[in-house]
Amino acid sequence: MDNIFSIKDLDLYYGNFQALKSISLDIDRNKVTALIGPSGCGKSTFLRCLNRMNDLIENCKIEGKIQYSQMDIQTKSFNVIELRTKVGMVFQKPNPFPMSIYDNVAYGPRCSGIKKKSELDVIVEKALKRAALYEEVSSRLKDNALGLSGGQQQRLCIARAIAMEPDVILMDEPTSALDPIATLKIEELINDLKRNYTIVIVTHNMQQAARISDKTAFFLMGELIEIDSTDKIFTQPKNKKTEDYITGRFG
Amino acid sequence: MSNKRKLNDIFYQFITYISALISVLALSSIFMFVFIKGSSLLDFGLLFNDYHEKYYNGGFNGDIDFSLTPEPDNLEANEFYSSMWGIALKDAKDREGNAIIIVSYISKDSPFSNMYDKNSVDIESSIVIKEGNIVSKISYYDKPTSLTRYGAELMIKDLDTVTDIREVVYTSLGGGIRGSLLTTLFIIGLTLVLALPMGIFTAIYLNEFAKKNKITNLIRSLIETLTGVPSIIYGLMGLAVFVPFTIAITKADSANLISGSMTLAVILLPIIIRSTEESLKVIPDDLRTASLALGANKTQTTFRAVLPSAYPGIVTATLLAVGRIIGESAALIFAIGTAIKDDVSIFGRSTTLSVHIWSLMKDEPANIELASTIALIILIIVLALNILVKLVSKKFITKIV
Repeated sequence: MDNIFSIKDLDLYYGNFQALKSISLDIDRNKVTALIGPSGCGKSTFLRCLNRMNDLIENCKIEGKIQYSQMDIQTKSFNVIELRTKVGMVFQKPNPFPMSIYDNVAYGPRCSGIKKKSELDVIVEKALKRAALYEEVSSRLKDNALGLSGGQQQRLCIARAIAMEPDVILMDEPTSALDPIATLKIEELINDLKRNYTIVIVTHNMQQAARISDKTAFFLMGELIEIDSTDKIFTQPKNKKTEDYITGRFG
Repeated sequence: MSNKRKLNDIFYQFITYISALISVLALSSIFMFVFIKGSSLLDFGLLFNDYHEKYYNGGFNGDIDFSLTPEPDNLEANEFYSSMWGIALKDAKDREGNAIIIVSYISKDSPFSNMYDKNSVDIESSIVIKEGNIVSKISYYDKPTSLTRYGAELMIKDLDTVTDIREVVYTSLGGGIRGSLLTTLFIIGLTLVLALPMGIFTAIYLNEFAKKNKITNLIRSLIETLTGVPSIIYGLMGLAVFVPFTIAITKADSANLISGSMTLAVILLPIIIRSTEESLKVIPDDLRTASLALGANKTQTTFRAVLPSAYPGIVTATLLAVGRIIGESAALIFAIGTAIKDDVSIFGRSTTLSVHIWSLMKDEPANIELASTIALIILIIVLALNILVKLVSKKFITKIV
């Protein structure tokens, strides 16, 4: 049993609206876990609990227990900054900073206090290589990141997260704004990355979940309906609702 | 039905055309007016000359070493030369339009380069006539005095017939705006130093750190109200608060440049706060979440990710501020004074270009030409600053953004 995250009875409210209802699940270390479900089912909200990005939303109330490496991350004394360096995040829309490619990747390390140029150079190169972007951009690291294509921008965002040497990378529909070829590249990248990182990915695309994930969790109306190995979810789901969803009967 | 729609269409289009035309005409006619009225007096001398003319009374002691320089070739028909005295004079008009006789050339060995100062107690003191000086009177021992009203030609003729001079009365050319120009540039710098950091940090506080509640909204609407307050009220405040304050802590004993800058800084604050805040508002939240998700804290996110993206807005704020500083006159009349100086005087009364215009226009008769020339110079400064800031920020932005 090697769980990096262990969630027990998680309830989340936006004001009076309950977005997550008593979620309990474990996330395996160095595996890809996919979260699927129709829009508004709470899968993104759940993902944002894992690095406490929901703190930014006013009126958001969380009950229950989220353990990361046996530490309870919901306590007030817990160091959120440190959590976010260990649990990186890639967003739906590629959102590089309006600065150079180098500065984008070096942003996180700089914020955590690394100032030495030689050290940063090594980190940036390593991160870009891991994100399979280095060869494409090595000659123009000083160019503005907004000049990259959408797929390159998204891989840059992944490199930016990797530069922090995280344990976990959370991905919130990372390919929904990309074309099929860029999507394929990101998926290949995820396959490479899972050797070193735990990846939790939210996706609307069920084929994508089937292709890249080891485990799949199906959310519906704020409830976790089913979680199992991806093979089982897609071939012999236990729950009728899961079957209906993956066969395209709704959602 | 379709005809009515067409008519409507034509009507509204016509209104937009007419409005655009009138706006363009009104704006360009201001430029035209200033240019036509002011361009005749525009020259570099105006920019660098003193405002106050200085009077000199020169005389000779003992033997005079006459000039041996022959008439230079490049003199024009209206310039008259005396080879004995080594000086060329011509008729001209000063900035107020009065006839004057101006020194257009003086040779190196001219006796006028070595006169004693009749106004000085020190008998050894020597004064020199320079090119551009105005000769108003030359008196002799045995001849009637040469005066401006007889013209340059006659003055030279008189000079050629005498071997000694009792007194030369001449003045340096005045009416220049060097002092006001320098004061304006100085006050722009000082005011920006005071107002920009404060305004930008206030905007950051309001937009990034302050909780979104009634108090923040109240502060914001107060700031917006301040934008519309007439500047003369700020001037009163400057007179009542900043002038005594600067007198208390500096060696100033009247309205001064520092109190003027402080008053202007207060006028500028709402403008800077508002335009910085506007540019912070349009920065997508994506950028902030991306930064926070990388383990940056709030301060790092604000200063490393958000603020650089707000740079174009801050440039605009600065430009607006500079424009406002140059254009401000009402508040400054109280807070800095109306005394026209020849140099920057930090602890005393002085005047900026706009107040200089006001001083010229309140005289009787008003000197519209010179006022328009200064207005033209102000326009040129504003234009130059605009272009400069755009060029600099273009270079800067392509590097960062």
